[in-house]
Amino acid sequence: MNASQKQTFTFISRTAPYGSNRPQLCLDTALAAAIFEQQVNYLFMEDGVYQLLKNQDAEAIHTKTIGRILETLNLYGIESIYVCKESLESRGLLLGDLVIESKLTNVNELKTLLNSSDTVINL
Amino acid sequence: MSTLHTISKSPKSQLLSECLPLVNKGDGILFIEDGVYYCVNNKLLNDFELDITWYGLKEDVDARGLKLDDIKAIHVINYKIFVEMCEEFDKVISWF
Repeated sequence: MNASQKQTFTFISRTAPYGSNRPQLCLDTALAAAIFEQQVNYLFMEDGVYQLLKNQDAEAIHTKTIGRILETLNLYGIESIYVCKESLESRGLLLGDLVIESKLTNVNELKTLLNSSDTVINL
Repeated sequence: MSTLHTISKSPKSQLLSECLPLVNKGDGILFIEDGVYYCVNNKLLNDFELDITWYGLKEDVDARGLKLDDIKAIHVINYKIFVEMCEEFDKVISWF
């Protein structure tokens, strides 16, 4: 890859926040891509939407609060944040329940998003 | 643009139902590692009618003693072809 070439990376985070380190890994990888000034899309789907819930406080389980980290994504140049409409609805959640402003996107739109990405990282 | 999706966990993982909504026409789905158990799950074979090409990795199928001779929907491919497919598809999305 040419250093001056900008590629589109789409990250899919599909797991709940504290059951494994996968959400953190996905986040770290995306931050690395953003630092190298790549176009980064970040998508929450399936149980991954639980990472976005307000009022998380992981201090009691000696872990970093993922909701807090997600609030800072735009500071690191990750502004395209998508949440899967079907995943949110099937869990009885609303956009207002989430810590950051996310684009509510249905699976057909997500197909297009993935199709137009150069690389998809799926965690 | 076409994508090769690899699925590497058994049907208990529900990975196929997570993956399918995001699959475009012309994409391929390849079962590897414990994902090859999807190939012999009759209940799931109904899904195999979409405009998608289905593959199972020979080495993983053979290692687990699975018989896919009667399952026409699945193309059994080996590692060498897997490598070629990674090159032919525009990208690979790994489901694990």
